[in-house]
Amino acid sequence: MAIKEGLMTIGEAAELIRSGKYLSIAGDEQALKQLPTGNWIGGTIPYFMADQGGVVTREQVYVNEIGTFSESPLIRFYSLETLPKLCRNAPENGYSLIIVPGFSDVHSSFARNAPNYDEMYMKPLIGWVAGIHLDDLGKVTPKVVHGQTGQFSDQMAVVMDVPLPMEKYAHIDIVNLFTQGQGDDITFADTGFSAGECLINGKPANFSEYLSSKAIDTRLPLVADYSGAMVNVSIKGNASAEKRVDFYAPVFPGTTYRIAAPVGDYITTFQGALPQMNTELAFSCNCILNYLYCELDGKRTGKVKGPITFGEIGYQLLNQTLVYLTIDG
Amino acid sequence: MKTTELLQAGLEIDGRWQIVDVSYDPPRRQFDVRVAETAGRGGWFSRPKSAGSASERHVWRHVNVGTRRCFVHLSAAPGQLPSDQPWSGEPDMPFTHALSRQIASLLMHGVNLQAICSLLDISLTDLWKLKYNLESGKSRLASAPPPSPSPEPSKPASSADGGVPDTTDPVWEKLLDGSINIDIRFLSLKLLLTKLREQMRVIDDNDVRMLKVYEIQRYFERNEPRLKHELMQLASAGN
Repeated sequence: MAIKEGLMTIGEAAELIRSGKYLSIAGDEQALKQLPTGNWIGGTIPYFMADQGGVVTREQVYVNEIGTFSESPLIRFYSLETLPKLCRNAPENGYSLIIVPGFSDVHSSFARNAPNYDEMYMKPLIGWVAGIHLDDLGKVTPKVVHGQTGQFSDQMAVVMDVPLPMEKYAHIDIVNLFTQGQGDDITFADTGFSAGECLINGKPANFSEYLSSKAIDTRLPLVADYSGAMVNVSIKGNASAEKRVDFYAPVFPGTTYRIAAPVGDYITTFQGALPQMNTELAFSCNCILNYLYCELDGKRTGKVKGPITFGEIGYQLLNQTLVYLTIDG
Repeated sequence: MKTTELLQAGLEIDGRWQIVDVSYDPPRRQFDVRVAETAGRGGWFSRPKSAGSASERHVWRHVNVGTRRCFVHLSAAPGQLPSDQPWSGEPDMPFTHALSRQIASLLMHGVNLQAICSLLDISLTDLWKLKYNLESGKSRLASAPPPSPSPEPSKPASSADGGVPDTTDPVWEKLLDGSINIDIRFLSLKLLLTKLREQMRVIDDNDVRMLKVYEIQRYFERNEPRLKHELMQLASAGN
């Protein structure tokens, strides 16, 4: 039977939940609160890439059915204290799907520390950062849901560990349209969601002044080359009065960043960047900044659908990146 | 031989150092061993030398005595810590060199952190502290024992079967120090290799570098069926 995925009404989602299926559900908080308990995890967000293209809705929810085999998935919350056990607790063969509430301490901690978690990169980890409607900024907090208990949390991450049979394996990859531009090499001394002092081509400088003096388009992220994987750090804002730049993900010391090269037409470039795959995507999500900056409202990104999020997780926190999962073998 | 002398031998405390006091706390199942430098070179029966008023007090968790925890206490003048003694440690570090090496050996064999904590009855916080300091080049394992024998027979990187080279193969060190670069198709490997290369850049302790070799080799062993493209490049690089 085909795995179900897509934007659907509360009633349709509730029916799937009652059938006992394991599901990942994204939706506005009020919509998620109408769902019954069952084998699902959820996160708040009202932005989606659906069959009809980019869409904002508080009434419908986006559902990904999780393919299961002989061993059932396990759902649990992780607090700030238990989060470092995330990968260790993951199945030996399978993957973990994580949803982290945006703007929370657990979000910050994951962003900073995930690369050093025990067993990180050894077991597949995919997920996203829950958010809110941009009109609700400052009014409500992003939340995640443990569907089996119906508990909502804005301070804990929720994880579904999905075991796979030995002949199958989870493959996680990204599509990032941004590449390092031809500009200066930028490095930072400390891990952080904001930075002032930095080195530009090895010389001490202030990053805020640098952005201003070069009139750099801050919709372009910083990009680092991780052995061939382009990893973005998106710029949240340039607080030039404080000589500080804020980011949506931390910068790390020892990593060389460059301002991204501009991307032309997002949809055309995106279609060209999609890998040719023989298998269906089991899960994917894209970034709210791509949605906003590339004006994806009403536009389709081929067969790639899913929630539009406040951060993407492909092992570690990513920005302005499409993350996807396939089950191969 | 007195009991204290036996304990001294068991904890490898010798030379100009001796145990000056031992206590055992049954409820906590814990030995506390106080060590001091001898005043002369007379062996077991020398008087302990005063560390002086400016001395710093150090406490390290040592290898267990049976199933009991053992802590070594030492007062030493600043900068005068014995760096070559298995029972001593680094300032502000939780473990002695001997226990650090025991932990490193378990890490090399892929034992996860929680299991190490259970096996050795140590706290995860202390273990994280050790791991962080080793990986950021801030701590060393000091004089290490001979490397543990590999559980698998050695497979040279140059072998035509494209299998996973043994940890003793120099191709791993070259991959981690950037001497060789390969085209990688897996996001997880790209991220892991970048992290390990960054750590290798600041680690100068050969034993800690070996830990990183074990880590990358374990990734390849876990994912061997899917890494043919990468393994063939390692085989070519090893020739």
